[in-house]
Amino acid sequence: MDYLYDGTFEGLLTCIYYHYKKEKATGIFEVKSYQQSLINDFERIETDANKAKIVSNAIVNKISREAYVHIYYCYLSSNEQKEIIILDFLIFAFKYGNNTMNFYSHEKVLPINEISLKVSREVHKFLGILRFSDIEGILYAKFSPDHDILVLLIEHFADRYKYEKFMIHDQRRNKAIIYDNDLWQMIDVDVINELEYSQNEKLIQDLWKQYFTNMAIKERKNTNLQFQFVPARYRKNMTEFH
Amino acid sequence: MDDNIFEKLKILSDAAKYDVSCVSSGVDRKNNTVGSIGNAAACGICHTWSADGRCISLLKILLTNDCIYDCKYCMNRVTNPTNRATFTPEEVAELTIQFYRRNYIEGLFLSSAVEKSPDYTMENLYRVLYLLRYKYNFWGYVHVKGIPGASNDLIQKTGMLADRMSVNIELPTRESLSLLAPQKKVENLLKPMALINHEISRTIDDKKHFSNTPRFVPGGQSTQMIIGATPDNDKTILNLSQNLYDRFNMKRVFFSAYIPVISAPNLPAISTMPPMLREHRLYQADWLMRFYYFKSEELFTETEPNLDLEFDPKMMFALRNMDKFPIEINKASYEELLRIPGLGVTSAQRIIRERKNAELSYDSLRKMRTVLKRAKYFITVKGKYYGNINFDPDRIKDEVRQQEIQKQISIFDLV
Repeated sequence: MDYLYDGTFEGLLTCIYYHYKKEKATGIFEVKSYQQSLINDFERIETDANKAKIVSNAIVNKISREAYVHIYYCYLSSNEQKEIIILDFLIFAFKYGNNTMNFYSHEKVLPINEISLKVSREVHKFLGILRFSDIEGILYAKFSPDHDILVLLIEHFADRYKYEKFMIHDQRRNKAIIYDNDLWQMIDVDVINELEYSQNEKLIQDLWKQYFTNMAIKERKNTNLQFQFVPARYRKNMTEFH
Repeated sequence: MDDNIFEKLKILSDAAKYDVSCVSSGVDRKNNTVGSIGNAAACGICHTWSADGRCISLLKILLTNDCIYDCKYCMNRVTNPTNRATFTPEEVAELTIQFYRRNYIEGLFLSSAVEKSPDYTMENLYRVLYLLRYKYNFWGYVHVKGIPGASNDLIQKTGMLADRMSVNIELPTRESLSLLAPQKKVENLLKPMALINHEISRTIDDKKHFSNTPRFVPGGQSTQMIIGATPDNDKTILNLSQNLYDRFNMKRVFFSAYIPVISAPNLPAISTMPPMLREHRLYQADWLMRFYYFKSEELFTETEPNLDLEFDPKMMFALRNMDKFPIEINKASYEELLRIPGLGVTSAQRIIRERKNAELSYDSLRKMRTVLKRAKYFITVKGKYYGNINFDPDRIKDEVRQQEIQKQISIFDLV
């Protein structure tokens, strides 16, 4: 049976629940990207928070919190096979319990480790390279990450800019987090038109650009190395590269 | 901020950019003061990379480049006719906050030329930090220079506001120092280091009894020296860093390849290229000392007081100590694993973890993404040697050279 879920993490965990309690899954797919196959039947699964909770508790208690985090990060990745990778991992992991993560290079465990590592690397990178501009007192940042990492950034920035209002906008996924006064929420956002920067904002941006250009020691020029650290696709939204 | 802020920022960041440290790590602080901005992440965060491939994490500036000293290697020396500028404390605070709000930087690295006297300069640095912390409520990362010769009292109260403090050792030997920076005395450089170290341990001790005691430079102290301006060899340099780590609990000792900015009789000619590969090798060796349980003396022999420029220091060590190899992956201790060329901390940890379950095969090493390019010549897996050539240093060198020719690694693009 192919199980289809709504794209949420709870939805995915609900499908895992049905895999164990009802009928084995041949695959798990997001509804909107599902291509019906000739061989397998499919069923659309309603997300059920209680069933999801049962699965997440089982992961934490019977495997480990470390495994749970890896699964969640893997879910946030843009890997097209992520659901089946997670399912295969869990089938293996419920057998080996809290020893599972010691099988680092096992074929059922390695993909989870590698995908999760990619996601956490991207999170760490964006903690640094996300750029805000001050639009009438509100800090606004836009970016297009490879993976769906918006939710993993909020804790850091909510602490860093605790007494500011800010918005982080994922342009690829048309959603944003808005934060004000210790509260944040995820909202859907369509296109935001090119913003008009104030005189002061332009001044600060120019100071930063000048500082950035000036910091490079010309005797040590090494743009290949620079490209390794800041790939071209990330530069689009970085003030200093314009 | 007025228009000449551009000019000031240009002059005063120009003068600071040769300072290598850009580290923002080592302090984990949540934003817990009402109305304040900023936190500090223990892992450190790089915000961008400039065209030389170096990371930018902090706003790195001098408060002033007006200097009373005449150090031969420095472009701010009093006898050099260069443009002079001085920031007001408000300008520094305003720049830091505005850059920080836009997530350009993780904090401030504030240094200064010695204007009028060490005490006068240190006092000014203290003022900036005080303003930043208490008027602008900034609790991001701050690294400040300790000025040799300033009074204990000033260094002490500045350190209470900073995350890291550093005093530059400048050059590797007493002779080099007296040749190029005759007004600086080794004793004057070591004194504030000892004081900083003492204050750090004192506040850590106090904290055991009084949990509210503020920490003195919680990110520790660091220092740096110039490489290649004087004929000192790598052995001298690394023995000195080992000493600094041991005596003052340094978090980091930085090396800075000398870039000829001025010509002077005792200095390399202006056209000399900075010894960047050598600097890179020194950092690799420094890494071995800090994370791989190597001692500096192990890296050198009577006849070889310098690191090998062609091979990285761990490879060099292995080639000179073939009797300690090959190492069996399934039996070696963590410390032994770390001695294998090409094998890092992550790989060693993965090996230890995974072999609890079953003996490792060569293939599982590959799946773990262990870099085997060099390692394969120095290991056995389940007793089998995978180097495919005789276990002989010259043969191994030849093989590795062949690989290099096929795939030039990026560091050689530097030279």
